[in-house]
Amino acid sequence: MRIGIVCPYSFDVPGGVQNHVMDLAEALITLGHEVSVLAPADEDSPLPAYVVSAGRAVPLPYNGSVARIAFGPVSTARVRRWLTNGDFDVLHVHEPLTLSLSLLAVLSARGPVVATFHTAMTRSRVLAAAQGVLQIVLERITARIAVSALARKVQVEHMDGGAVEIPNGVAVAKFADAEPLPDWPGECGPGTGGTLGFLGRFTEARKGFPVLRDAFVALAATRPGLRLLVAGPGDPDDLYDQFPAALRERVTFLGLVTEADKARMLRSVHLYVAPNTGGESFGMILTEALAAGTTVVASDLDAFRRVLDGGRAGRLFPTGDPVGLRDALSELLDDPAGRATLSACGDQVVANFDWPVVARRVLEVYAAAIEATDGRVIDQEWVGLG
Amino acid sequence: MPHMWWVVAASVLVGVLAAYLIWTAGRVERLQGRAELAARALDAHLLRRAAAAAVLAERCFGVELYAAARIALDAPPQEREAAENDLTRQLRSVRLDPADPDCTAVIAASRRLALSRQVHTDLVRDARSARSRPLVRLLRMGRGREWPRYFDIDDPTLVVPADVPAG
Repeated sequence: MRIGIVCPYSFDVPGGVQNHVMDLAEALITLGHEVSVLAPADEDSPLPAYVVSAGRAVPLPYNGSVARIAFGPVSTARVRRWLTNGDFDVLHVHEPLTLSLSLLAVLSARGPVVATFHTAMTRSRVLAAAQGVLQIVLERITARIAVSALARKVQVEHMDGGAVEIPNGVAVAKFADAEPLPDWPGECGPGTGGTLGFLGRFTEARKGFPVLRDAFVALAATRPGLRLLVAGPGDPDDLYDQFPAALRERVTFLGLVTEADKARMLRSVHLYVAPNTGGESFGMILTEALAAGTTVVASDLDAFRRVLDGGRAGRLFPTGDPVGLRDALSELLDDPAGRATLSACGDQVVANFDWPVVARRVLEVYAAAIEATDGRVIDQEWVGLG
Repeated sequence: MPHMWWVVAASVLVGVLAAYLIWTAGRVERLQGRAELAARALDAHLLRRAAAAAVLAERCFGVELYAAARIALDAPPQEREAAENDLTRQLRSVRLDPADPDCTAVIAASRRLALSRQVHTDLVRDARSARSRPLVRLLRMGRGREWPRYFDIDDPTLVVPADVPAG
C-alpha cells in the first residue's frame, strides 16, 4: 500500500506526536508498505529517508504552549506537490484541526483520508470561531482514530462523530533489550535496599511528585539502601531542596534524557512509580515501563487502571495518598515473587501495545477508509494482515 | 452614470451566489456518493462475516449458529439489522479458539465489520446533515437519490481471550 502520513509538528524538536509518527512509519515500512512522511523541518536537519520536509516551521504561541508549525501559501504548494508525487492509496493526517500541514493536506486531498486525534483538546480557537469551516474539514475525513478513551470521548461528544480507539504503540524490543545503567538497580533484600524510578516534570503539580517524595522520605527512614532515580526536565536544586539533607545522596537526578536513555533508566529500577494526580489521558510511560519489564506502581486513575488491566499488570494505590503509596512500595520491594507475577502479566498487556500489533490495527482502518471511498472490500492479505 | 455601480454589484452578487450553489451541489453529491459506497462496503463485510460464521458453524458449533448465519445472509432489508444482531449474540455465546483458523477468520471479519460500520455511520451522518440544510432542501439538490440510511446494529466486535494479543 502507498501511504502518505502528515505530521503537523516540526521534527527538529522532540515530542509525542513526532515520535508516534516516526514509530508508526517504521512499523508500516517493516510490514512491507511504501510510506512517505511530510513534516516541517529545517533544510539542513538530518531526517530519516522516508521523511519529506515541508520547509521551516515558525514558532507560534498556541493553546498555552509554543507549537512550531508551517502554514501559508508556500506550505500549501508543497503539500499539493507531495500529494501529487506520492499518488497515495490513503492519506493519514495527525491532529488535523490545528492550523498546520495536516489541515492543508485534508483540504487538498482527493482520496480516502484517515485522521488521528492525539490530544483531548476539543478544537483550536481559530477554528472554533468558524464552525462551518470545521465541518468542511471534518467531512473530508473518511475515518477517525483516537489514541485514548478521553480523545475518543471528545470526538463523540463535541465533534459529532465516532472514532476508533487505537492506543499509542510502544517499541517493546527497544525497551526490553536496553542495558541498565552501571551499578543499577542494585540490591533489594527484605527490609533493605531497592530502587524507585520517576520520569517527568517533577515541578508540575499533576505529575504528583510530592506524593512520591513523601512516601520515599517515610520509607527511607526505616529502609537503609533505598534509592530514587529521577529523570526529566528541571533544575537539580529544585529537586534536591525537597529532600532532607541526609537523604540527598540517595536521590540521583539524570536531567532530561533521550529516548535511548529513558529505556536504560526504566531498566535500572525495581519499581517505576507514577504518582500522577490527574490529567493523564493514556499513560504512555506505563506501557514503556512494562515493556522494560519493570514493575509499575501507579495512582488509581482511569487511564492507568485501563493500561494496567485493572491492577493485574501493576499495583494501583489511592490517588494522591503518600501513605498508601509507601505501603504498596514496602510490600512490593520485599516480595520478588509478587513483582515477577505483575511483570509477567505486564508482558502480556504490553504485547497489545507493541508497534507491529498497533500498526496492523491502523492498517485495518486504512482498509476501511479505502473501502468506503471505493465500495469494494480489500482482502486481509493485501493489507498485509495475513 | 451612478446606476452602473448597481449593475456591477448585482453581477458580482449573482456570480458569488452561483459559485456557492455550484459548490454546495458538488458537496452534497460528493457526500451522498460516499455514503452509498460506504453502504456497499458495509454490505460486503456483513456478508463476509455471515459466510465465515456459517463455515465455522458447519464444522463445530452446530445448528443454532448456522441458522443465525443463514438468516443473516438471506434477510430482507427491513429485517437485516435484527438478523445481524442475532448473529452477533450467537457468536458471543460460543467459545472461539484463537488457534483455529476458522475462528480467527470470524474474529477478523467481525473486527473489520465493526470498522466498516463505524465509517459508514459517520459518512451517513455527514451526508444527511448536508442534505438537510434549508437551501439544499429548497433547491431539491440530490433529488433522485434516496436519503442515506443508518444501519443500526450493536457493536459486532468479539472479545478475544485475554492471553492472546488482539492482532
